Amino acid sequence: MDNTQSSTANSLQAAQRQVRVQLTSQQEDIALPDSTGPILVPTGLRRYALSTLVNNLLGNDKPIPFEFLINGAFLRTSIDEYLTANGISAETTLEIEYVRALIPPLHIASYEHDDWVSSVDVLSASSASSIPQGQERILSGSYDGLLRVWNTSSQVVATSPSQTEGGHASSIKAAKFVSSNSIVSAGLDRTVRLWKYSESEDGFSGKIAPQLELYGHKSGINSLDVHAPSNRILSASADHSIGFWSTRKSDAPAVPENLLPSAASRTSKRRKLNTSVSVSQRGPLALLSAHTAPVSAAIFDAKDSTVGYSTSWDHSLRTWDLVTASLVDTRTTSHSLLSLEHLPDHHLLATGTSARHITLIDPRASATTISAMTLRGHTNAVVTLARDPSSTYGLISGSHDGTCRIWDLRATKTDKGAAVGDSVYSISRKSLEEEGKANSKRVGGEGVKVFSVCWDPQVGIVSAGEDKRIQINRGDGVLSSS
Amino acid sequence: MAALKASKKRKAVTRDVEEEEAGVFSGDELNNGDLDGALSDNAHDLSSDEDDSDSEIELVDDFSDSEDDVEELDSDEIPSDGEDEGVAKKKKSGTAVDLKEFSKDNGSSSEEEEEQLNYRIEKDANGNDRYIYDEINPDDNSDYSDIEENANTIGNIPLTFYDQYPHIGYDINGKKIMRPAKGEALDALLDSIEIPKGWTGLTDPSTGKPLELSQDELELLRKVQMNEIPEDGYNPYEPLLEWFTTEKEIMPLSAAPEPKRRFVPSKHEAKRVMKIVKAIREGRILPYKPPTEQDEEDKDLIKYDLWADEAERPDHPMHIPAPKLPPPGYEESYHPPPEYLPDNKERKAWEEADPEDREQEFLPRDFGSLRKVPGYETFVKEKFERCLDLYLAPRVRRSKLNIDPESLLPKLPSPEELKPFPTACAAVFRGHKGRVRSLAVDPTGIWLATGGDDGTVRVWELLTGRQLWSVKLADDEPVNVVRWRPGKDAVVLAAAAGDDIFLAVPPIADPETEQASLDLLDAGWGYAASKPATRAVDEEKKSTPPQWIRPSAALTDSGVCAVIPLRHIAKSISWHRRGDYFVTVCSGASTPASVAISIHTVSKHLTQYPFRRRIKGGGPPQTAHFHPSKPILFVANQRTIRAYDLSRQLLVKIVQPGARWISSFDIHPTSSTAAGGDNIIVGSYDRRLLWHDLELSQRPYKTLRYHRKAIRAVKFHPGGRYPLFADASDDGSLQIFHGNVTGDMLSNATIVPLKVLKGHKITGELGVLDIDWHPREAWCVSAGADGTCRLWM
Repeated sequence: MDNTQSSTANSLQAAQRQVRVQLTSQQEDIALPDSTGPILVPTGLRRYALSTLVNNLLGNDKPIPFEFLINGAFLRTSIDEYLTANGISAETTLEIEYVRALIPPLHIASYEHDDWVSSVDVLSASSASSIPQGQERILSGSYDGLLRVWNTSSQVVATSPSQTEGGHASSIKAAKFVSSNSIVSAGLDRTVRLWKYSESEDGFSGKIAPQLELYGHKSGINSLDVHAPSNRILSASADHSIGFWSTRKSDAPAVPENLLPSAASRTSKRRKLNTSVSVSQRGPLALLSAHTAPVSAAIFDAKDSTVGYSTSWDHSLRTWDLVTASLVDTRTTSHSLLSLEHLPDHHLLATGTSARHITLIDPRASATTISAMTLRGHTNAVVTLARDPSSTYGLISGSHDGTCRIWDLRATKTDKGAAVGDSVYSISRKSLEEEGKANSKRVGGEGVKVFSVCWDPQVGIVSAGEDKRIQINRGDGVLSSS
Repeated sequence: MAALKASKKRKAVTRDVEEEEAGVFSGDELNNGDLDGALSDNAHDLSSDEDDSDSEIELVDDFSDSEDDVEELDSDEIPSDGEDEGVAKKKKSGTAVDLKEFSKDNGSSSEEEEEQLNYRIEKDANGNDRYIYDEINPDDNSDYSDIEENANTIGNIPLTFYDQYPHIGYDINGKKIMRPAKGEALDALLDSIEIPKGWTGLTDPSTGKPLELSQDELELLRKVQMNEIPEDGYNPYEPLLEWFTTEKEIMPLSAAPEPKRRFVPSKHEAKRVMKIVKAIREGRILPYKPPTEQDEEDKDLIKYDLWADEAERPDHPMHIPAPKLPPPGYEESYHPPPEYLPDNKERKAWEEADPEDREQEFLPRDFGSLRKVPGYETFVKEKFERCLDLYLAPRVRRSKLNIDPESLLPKLPSPEELKPFPTACAAVFRGHKGRVRSLAVDPTGIWLATGGDDGTVRVWELLTGRQLWSVKLADDEPVNVVRWRPGKDAVVLAAAAGDDIFLAVPPIADPETEQASLDLLDAGWGYAASKPATRAVDEEKKSTPPQWIRPSAALTDSGVCAVIPLRHIAKSISWHRRGDYFVTVCSGASTPASVAISIHTVSKHLTQYPFRRRIKGGGPPQTAHFHPSKPILFVANQRTIRAYDLSRQLLVKIVQPGARWISSFDIHPTSSTAAGGDNIIVGSYDRRLLWHDLELSQRPYKTLRYHRKAIRAVKFHPGGRYPLFADASDDGSLQIFHGNVTGDMLSNATIVPLKVLKGHKITGELGVLDIDWHPREAWCVSAGADGTCRLWM
């Protein structure tokens, strides 16, 4: 009784206190006019009240929910509590940045597989404009060596042929749509395979036919990147090299003889199985080798297809000039790098490390520090990264700890002189929830490791992992766009 | 006294009045009441009158009366007792009256005597005798003497006869006696008179008007009458303000001490003192001890006084007077100034300090007065010390080292600075049924090979924990050890299962490397085929080295290329860094000493037994390793490790870790290359992890006892990129250490425990059975008895 009274008294007292705030937004469509000076608001306000205030100031008919960032942290309490917690005087003018509020990434669907799913990609209007709404396709590469194309109602439209009919001889580690009728995949059998994908008229059945086999790597391929306009593919392999390939048969050079499977004479009986279907075989345009350890990821620059980036277990991130196939720059970190994503608007490369965090690296020669920002939160190696299609600040990461985490690059704080970020949302695997152990933590992410994540504006956040399923989470509005 | 008597008298009067009233209204008790009244009224007169009479009875009566009087005069008794006395008195006087009457009625015999006494003879004018009689006093004896004038004379008739008349009878003069007013009638009368409020019946002398009093004034009067405090709001019991007794003035008017005249001597104390004085006087207390015989005897003793005839001597080099003690300072005062008094901290420091370290031997203390100062407990000791000082007597002084124990501890770098090292489990490899006995990370760092109790060898993708290849080598015997061939040019896995050693090429490499591996293993077939004839002739002993054979078709299909039938269970495989040789050790107790250790040459498919005889002392061999750079083979048996130079075929060194039973050891990878000596870590079943610097000693440089149970495996990080080593124990944990070996010979290796990795479950008393490091990264893998392997990064 007394407590409530005193607390109400406190809140009353707090409500009477006022603080000067300067409301700003980096998004122009919701920005307040420049003439808006600092506003005096009661310190008792919370997010909702502030949101109403901003909507009133903007004169919005339909209120937009806003989130408020003070010094890189989202306001989750009243301003008063924030000021008390951070020891800020109510006399100062508070710089508050507001962004559109986020909607949690709710689980939408799960597509079950027979084996671990190593790779996932989405074909939608954003990647190929001819795809109508609702006709999005999800491509999954699995450890059983098969590619599957799914429609959005969790039906398999097409499955790639098995090993005997020209399919992968081993697990697929990476798969991507090149265009709406072309797929590329690669895996532990050291080949990059190009497939022709065709669908029937009704869209309920399709065919994945082998088109081209690309030989050149001497060890398993970890990841692929595709630049469709120039028909180029980058592959990262555990043999310490990066393959640079063309999707066109005419462009590609011939295969070096020693790498063809027929070169191995051992157990010829087993190898013969592969010859029932004959597929053209080509070699790489270039093999870029400078890394001294398995290459984990290689990507094209998002704006300039002649520039490539690669990360490796040898702790380095290297920049390549793909025209001359030469090494431009090397940035060495202190951990093995396992994944890579380019954030073109910030001139940053996000790379996931074996040390359980994501490092943002400025690859430009002018950058003085190697690590621009560190995103901490995962409890196991970060093996996949994807950009937010709607926000330049958004990033999603998949980790062997069985979670995908969404990061907002604006929500950072400075720790020991380095910028450190915290995740906005953490998506755990639905399979864990279905087992009724949603909150339990698996040691080493056993059984729930995430291997691949893809963020599409139409489909949402698609992630695949050791739980043998693709999990789709709602992706739009999760991060405030700008 | 006088006042008391007065009050007593007054009391008596009031009582008389009451009795008189009673007498008026009730006729029955009239006489008695009258008598009482008369008696009590003039008791003294009566008695004094009677004093004159000579009768004995009167005298007796008189005596009693006088006693009464004495009592009345002297007693301090309370009035209630006085009343009792009064009653008793009445009774006595009553009896006296009766006695008189009695004596008159019956006193005929003594009539004449009385009459003779009642008259006196005088001479009349004629000279004749004339009898003059005393006047007859009718007094008490007369019946009518006391009849009241207005007594009712109606006689013995009931009063009810007069009920209808206003009178109740007639007095002796014939006048009507009116009926006395009853209470009811009075009340009725009073009620009929209307009295105004505040009517007092008094007249205000100043105005002449009737004095009327207000309610307040009446209340005031009532309070005065009742001895109450007349004023409202006056508290007679207000708390005492002790202005001059307990209140301590900050600035007193006078700071003069309490004058002695205010001293009030204690009567109690004086009494006690007097008691004691009296006792002393009477000899009950002896103030001095009587001199005993002992004391008397002591008189015979001769006592020497050193200083008896000491005279002032002039200053002289031959005479050094005793140094004088410094005069006492403030701190030795019984009432030192407050700044000399130690505070709690100083007091604690003084108490904790060693007596020899204390600057002064006492703590200044404050006493209110000198008489409260207790005896100085170390007085004798201090004087003794002073004497010793004067004699310059040598005394043993404790030599004390003033060293901070913290500074003696080696300065270890904090684990934070020594990153990276494995801290968390990154992957769990589940698949083996039963224990996983051994595991190894391949030289490229991508694959992990494991072998377990289920007889299978499996190859996994290291990062994801995906099983890629599995082969069952033995149906009912465990795979004891798996080891990859070093070098990246070929992929060869050696595994020991049962009595055999298997060499396999897992299908994980590209065709070129796979072909190279197959070629490497196949090359020896031809060499072996050309050799055996000569060898068989040469060696007729029973310890014939085994011939390498091709595996069964099923195993060939799975990738196994060669089998070495050792005929004994090999527990340890160790490759030479070039990849052409490997050494196996069969540590079973039943294994003949000569065949326990065998060295295999891959290129020639040749197996040799380098040791013909049993190693003396230390039990059967346990494990063996090649030196990473020199042609030296280290062989560990249960208690010692011996280093043999293979090129010169010599025993180079014997290392004695002091452990009861060595389980495993490892040689530092940069040993002897980066200057410095060889460093070896040894794990033992008696829970010890020992670090040997071979240049330093045969004995361990460091012994680490951190595990609760036997240590199964120890391993340095290969390649020397990270100065890490780890051990695996049966208590289910791994421990990661930093072990930095510096190049220069002067500094020792720094060993820092970094991390205990827990996760493996203890199954059947076994915890972690094997451990291996990633060739480049600070990651390690462990094989557990719980059937899992774990990757730690």
